[in-house]
Amino acid sequence: MTSLPWLAALPWLAAAWLFAIGVYGVVTSRHYVHLIGCLSVCQSSTYMLLLGVGFRRGAGPPIFYDHPPGTPAVDPVMQALVLTDIVVGAAVTALLLVIALQVHKRCGLVDPQRLRPLRGPK
Amino acid sequence: MNGRWRLALLALAALLLAPLIWSVASALPPFGAPEAAYGPAVNALLPGARNVSNMVAAVNFDVRGIDTLGEESMLLCAVVGAVVLLRGRRGEDRGDRAGRVPGRPIVERDDATILACRIAALLVLLFGAYVALHGTVTPGGGFQGGAIAASGLLLVYPGEDYSCWRALVPGTVLTVIEGAGALIFVLAAALPLAGGHAALANILPLGTWKDLYSGGVMVVVNFAVALAVVGGFGLLLIEFMEETRAPEEDPVPDEEDR
Repeated sequence: MTSLPWLAALPWLAAAWLFAIGVYGVVTSRHYVHLIGCLSVCQSSTYMLLLGVGFRRGAGPPIFYDHPPGTPAVDPVMQALVLTDIVVGAAVTALLLVIALQVHKRCGLVDPQRLRPLRGPK
Repeated sequence: MNGRWRLALLALAALLLAPLIWSVASALPPFGAPEAAYGPAVNALLPGARNVSNMVAAVNFDVRGIDTLGEESMLLCAVVGAVVLLRGRRGEDRGDRAGRVPGRPIVERDDATILACRIAALLVLLFGAYVALHGTVTPGGGFQGGAIAASGLLLVYPGEDYSCWRALVPGTVLTVIEGAGALIFVLAAALPLAGGHAALANILPLGTWKDLYSGGVMVVVNFAVALAVVGGFGLLLIEFMEETRAPEEDPVPDEEDR
């Protein structure tokens, strides 16, 4: 591992790459649903990062049912973080989709690049 | 700002950030050999201290329980926001008839579809309840079980027709379930305060290791989370379905927006 330092950093770079392609999708998006999907790609980079941080080589799951407590196990804190990350992400994605629906209702368009700022009543 | 400028700015930001990301990535501990002490401490101490076998549930519902309470209220806020925005002009007005596009024929469901959906929905609901209830013992818990059970609620829809689905999955019940889940969690956090303990202190009997009842207050919190997740996701399903039902009044865009 030490002879190839980039290999040890590969999971972190993969997470950064996932985040980057998500941001690229958000920037170039022409449809709100596509944009929200790209945001989910960005979010999945956090799963990659957290699970990578918690991984221990040769260790089992942090569930001591089949194997007794004391056997090597991966970091449970990171797994708990990913779990809550996924659930909140799903709910927030639903909220974002609703907002996209609302934009479509009010302005009749789904293209973020054509959306103009709302003006208040005159 | 046109597309080319956006891309140029993105490339500039990526160029500036790339060295920073590289330095952070190479400074992190190498993959597979973490240096954090928190997780191993949880793995070493909690099976004995709390009689639970699922360390992820122990972290979520006991050690970092207050964090989960905050995260649970985020879930509640997101669901409430989505429901309020979707209802919008529609208000509390809701019906149990399916949306219908004039001129499109109504195709009868196949018997095989109905049978498959009924079997699958029952199995998925049962599996969701199993995963949620065994949260402190085996992989799973309130979040996962709640999400599975909510998708089971959706599977009821293709098996029955829309009005039957709405009768089987009443929105009021889901609202109550959602609220009850949040309330039970808050009570589990606040009641120990009245007795002079810390918030979310584990004052219930801990139960036995590998048993359905193990972990004391974790069982209660796990159940509360399962209720809140089922209620929240179920409410979202119903409100999105209501959205397809009322397509007739097309939106009146504000002239000045155009």
